[in-house]
Amino acid sequence: MSTDIFEQLGIMQLSDSFFPSGIYATSNGLEILIHDRKIKNATELAELIKVFLRQQIGPADCVALCNVYDFIAKNDFEKIIQTDQLLYSMKLVKEIRETSTRAGIQLIKCIQSFKDEKFLKLYSDSITIGKCTGVYPVCFAIAAYGLGVKKENAATMLLYGFVVGMIGAALRMGIIEHFESQKIIDDLKSEIVNAVQKNIKKSISEMWQFAPELDIVQITHEKLAEKMFIT
Amino acid sequence: MTRIPRVGIGGPVGCGKTMLIERVVPVLASKGYSVSIISNDVISKEDANRMRLNLATKKGLLPENLVVGLATGGCPHTAVREDPSMNLAIIEEMESKHQDLDLIIIESGGDNITTTFSPALADYFIYIIDVAGGDKYPRKRGLGIETADLLVINKIDLAPFVDADLQVMEKDAKALRGDKPYVFVNCKTDKGIDQVASHIMHNVLFDEPPKAQQLKR
Repeated sequence: MSTDIFEQLGIMQLSDSFFPSGIYATSNGLEILIHDRKIKNATELAELIKVFLRQQIGPADCVALCNVYDFIAKNDFEKIIQTDQLLYSMKLVKEIRETSTRAGIQLIKCIQSFKDEKFLKLYSDSITIGKCTGVYPVCFAIAAYGLGVKKENAATMLLYGFVVGMIGAALRMGIIEHFESQKIIDDLKSEIVNAVQKNIKKSISEMWQFAPELDIVQITHEKLAEKMFIT
Repeated sequence: MTRIPRVGIGGPVGCGKTMLIERVVPVLASKGYSVSIISNDVISKEDANRMRLNLATKKGLLPENLVVGLATGGCPHTAVREDPSMNLAIIEEMESKHQDLDLIIIESGGDNITTTFSPALADYFIYIIDVAGGDKYPRKRGLGIETADLLVINKIDLAPFVDADLQVMEKDAKALRGDKPYVFVNCKTDKGIDQVASHIMHNVLFDEPPKAQQLKR
């Protein structure tokens, strides 16, 4: 079999909702927006996801992932540590930070249980000694690399995973139905492609995120006593 | 880092999972065992808050920060079986900071009778039902009732009021579970709670003394 097919299988494995990382339990604050009727339907949901992609996940998470790929190619582990710490510092909401690292660390552990790869071990050891945080996009990059997935595909998967996670949360909260959910994914494909193309060549010094209203929404959500989702 | 023994407790909504923990933990604490609790909840952190208040704040049986509530995104059985990542992450954080713990109890969110725990998450699985659901429950099988290490049947005081026959439940539990144990309990009066605690001490803690006592030797 060709390496392309193994890469495709790696993409399927890591993109599959069956892959365990715990991310399904998060809504990125969507729960409170639905509860407060600020997001009421598929159109508003799609617009919200675009804001996340343009203001947070694209310019920060996606850039971090792509740079980790480049640093692996250059065998520059110190830069991976730097990327990890920089991205962690950009996650301003406590529960988002905690969830990102918890999911990331479990992702790395899962891949390590069946893959023996240098950067997986280096990164995992660095998390153990507290040198790295294990923030999810960096873990995702190292895991995807370990599964033989190319950089552009890994970046697309990361963004696709975020989109599906948000739509899945909306579906479970009942503002959209199952056909609508697939239509939103289809509508957002060009947004995902644009976000990857826009960010794939940026350096870590060009990483940024700015969505203060969403930060406030997420902070409000994390303090709720009654909620279905981790923020 | 040593793996701390873990007990998973699952069962339908309202069957008494939280109350079982509230009753069993004091028994374990009275024997000197140090316990922490992770409470997976479907909608709120109410169960975790209640256990924190009753067991930690009021009774001082464990530190408040060792009762952790976890939202499951509406997927309670996924969080303890198909993808227990968030539970495992919290457990690993507990293990790294509290090696003196003897036991971690993981409460599942209320779910249906097919709930089971991932063996990666729980070493011992208790499934609890209550008689108010009818005496048909053990007979209806379901993975939880069938495969749990210990089946607990709660609210036995309500049996006469809901026409539930405890003898039928016992006969069906025996038929379905073979030699695996079951206990009838009434969490309100503590009836049967000592038996549940004994099962945990014997089958999970292997009748070892609490770590705190071992350190003193």
